Amino acid sequence: MENVNVLIVEDTPEESDALIKVLEENNYNVVDVATTFKSALDIFYNKAIDIVVLDIFLNGNPDGIAFAETISITPNASKPFVFLTSSTDRKIFERAKLTQPFSYLMKPFNALEILYALEMAVEKFYAQPDVFLGEEEDTIISSEYLFIKKGKSLKKVLITDIIYIEVEEKYCNIITEKEKFVILISLTKISKLLDATLFSKTHRNFIVNTEKIIEIIPADNLILLSGNHQATLSDTYKDILKNVRTLK
Amino acid sequence: MKNIILAVMLTSYLLFSQEKHKTDLFDLEVQEKINLNKSYSHFSKAGLFFIENNWDSTLVYSMQHLNTIKQNIDLANYAHYMRGYSFNEKKLYQEANNEFNKISPEFEFDFIVKKRLAEIALEKNEFKKAVSYLEPLTKLSLEKYKYFKKSEVFQNLGLCYLHLKEFNQAESYLVKNVEFNEQLKDTLDLITAYGSIANLYYVQYKDDLAIPYFEKAYQLSKNTKDFDAKRIATLNMAVVEENRKDLRKALEYRKEYEKWKDSLNDQNKIYEVAQIEKEFAVKQKQQEVNLLEAENKSKIRERNGLLYSALTLLILLGVALYYYKEKSKANKIIVAQKEDLDALNATKDKLFSIVSHDLRSSVNALKTSNNKLLDNLEAKNLDALDEQLQNNSAIVNGAYNLLDNLLHWALLQTDQSYFEIASIRLFSIVEQTAYNYKPLMLENNIDFKNDVLKSVSIFADQESLKIILRNLLDNAIKFSEPNGIIKVYTQSTNEKYCDLIIEDSGIGMQESTRLELLEDTISLSKKENKNSIGTGLGLQLCKSMIKKNKGKFDIESELGKGTKMIVSLPLKA
Repeated sequence: MENVNVLIVEDTPEESDALIKVLEENNYNVVDVATTFKSALDIFYNKAIDIVVLDIFLNGNPDGIAFAETISITPNASKPFVFLTSSTDRKIFERAKLTQPFSYLMKPFNALEILYALEMAVEKFYAQPDVFLGEEEDTIISSEYLFIKKGKSLKKVLITDIIYIEVEEKYCNIITEKEKFVILISLTKISKLLDATLFSKTHRNFIVNTEKIIEIIPADNLILLSGNHQATLSDTYKDILKNVRTLK
Repeated sequence: MKNIILAVMLTSYLLFSQEKHKTDLFDLEVQEKINLNKSYSHFSKAGLFFIENNWDSTLVYSMQHLNTIKQNIDLANYAHYMRGYSFNEKKLYQEANNEFNKISPEFEFDFIVKKRLAEIALEKNEFKKAVSYLEPLTKLSLEKYKYFKKSEVFQNLGLCYLHLKEFNQAESYLVKNVEFNEQLKDTLDLITAYGSIANLYYVQYKDDLAIPYFEKAYQLSKNTKDFDAKRIATLNMAVVEENRKDLRKALEYRKEYEKWKDSLNDQNKIYEVAQIEKEFAVKQKQQEVNLLEAENKSKIRERNGLLYSALTLLILLGVALYYYKEKSKANKIIVAQKEDLDALNATKDKLFSIVSHDLRSSVNALKTSNNKLLDNLEAKNLDALDEQLQNNSAIVNGAYNLLDNLLHWALLQTDQSYFEIASIRLFSIVEQTAYNYKPLMLENNIDFKNDVLKSVSIFADQESLKIILRNLLDNAIKFSEPNGIIKVYTQSTNEKYCDLIIEDSGIGMQESTRLELLEDTISLSKKENKNSIGTGLGLQLCKSMIKKNKGKFDIESELGKGTKMIVSLPLKA
């Protein structure tokens, strides 16, 4: 599991310092602090960013909104972002709200509020509401990562790193090359949101990353995966064989 | 002798056209004809004017009738008759004669026509012609004599023969006339008849025969009131007596004659005077009428004037009323606005007093505290520093909360802040809000429990909900004793609302304070507890915000045991 990368766009050092403090305490990785619109865009496009925290006002101008507008219209490049503001001025909010999805953090803020705002931003951005605050689930699936709530903070797992997923009632065991952990998510949701070309169901309880398959042994109903992992192949899901490139 | 003849001629001459006025009977005939021939409008009009004795109009319309309708001989006869009669009345005898002659012999009333013609002939002294008209009229049926008197025919015939000096003929008719009139007992006619026959005899110098008739006439004339008859009879007697050389009697008769003549004149004069008086009276009446008319006109003018002025006044009144209403409406608005302004002003004043008093005292406390801090620092009294800094921090926190509330209050009043109702997980919001108070509660050894279930979500605006919670928690801490407990939990009383309860085990409040706090006015009262900073602004702000979130607010409290602040928030949008 990796830390989530955060870009802070904020021109007041006191504010950004406070933010950095809270974020780092909660295992977020603050990639950089941009103080201008231009530098923010520069960093955004050149570094791997998961979430942007951006002040609406940069040097007295609502450049934060301009930034959000800019990244919103760039397809595939957009990331979850949180507006940071000290006023509830309606006009500013109305304009900021046009950059859907709209998440904000009101100054002054405490640690809980920051974390809450980040979680909200991720939920809203990937359109999977009520994940982190409820008790049923704790994971949001994007095209690249699983965002998992661990304690107070968020962690991410690169989806292509997953070897297989074993479902146990309402839990899912995620097995990667390096680690093994449990997430809270329903099977239906995870099978719906995972890339179908990459993941296949081999058993009622197994979802396998086809890239990680080393060998299939139909006689034993067994799939050998990289890292010495194995998954079960049930008769119901033997169709998987057709989709797997076989050497002839 | 000449005198006598003259007198006779004079008297007899007067006697001819006795029957000057047409009979009502003939008018009725005309009326009947009109009723039968209503479609002939000209004839009808002519007939009606004929009945009314309006000769000129009769002539005009009868002429129009004759010009347009030619085939109806009966009506033409009537028309010619009416024309002849009208001309006769206007003394245009020749024209009258012509009209009468145009009437065809079949005409029902041919005998009347003949009589008219005879009368015209008499007017012209054409006695023979008159006789030729009159002779046939002596032998008419009784029916026809209704239209004129048979005696008239005899009288006129007699006189004609008298003028023609055919005395025998004249005598026979006049005698018949006398007999006839004696039978009828018509005094005036009898006087005339006696006069005529007396004259007849007198002209022939048959005085013995004549005189008794003269005397008879005279005697009869005494009983009548007709001055003319009296005068003629008296004159005749005077002439007779004069011729008999009885001059004394003659003189007496003359005098009587003069008297009657005077009487006649007097009567005429009286008539004239009466006429003049009448005319005068009529004129006066006319003047009066004119005056009244003028008065009426002026009255009408006056009335109209009054009406117009009343109308104008009414309109003016209406307009005035309208403007008055408009003005009072405007006044009402102004008064309402003034009240609003007053309320706002009061709020503003209170805010000012809060700012000036509380904020000032806070900052002042900070200032003194800082001085002490510096003193301690100088004296290297490091133990005291920690306590002092904590103190400062508390003061600043209080002041900050106050400022924050002031800001939100101002924003709420002017409706400037962002407000969006959305689904919110209550647990998380309570956690976030309580986070700031954790150190304070720890310091005061207050046990805080967030017992809200993670699954509970309500509909509210996030920021305003935070402000509400912040203030309620602040209050709960403020009024809690050390080692107290503050619990936040929910409780569902009905389907629409979720009750969020902030319960403390603090000092509680009196019922009166509770009610006062729940009142909808901004009673920024001074607190009972001197040690606690507070103005009531926080709670007022809470109430306003809860209202804006479509929620409800209630307080349950027991003095010495604690307080429950209950915020009911909608479960559905």
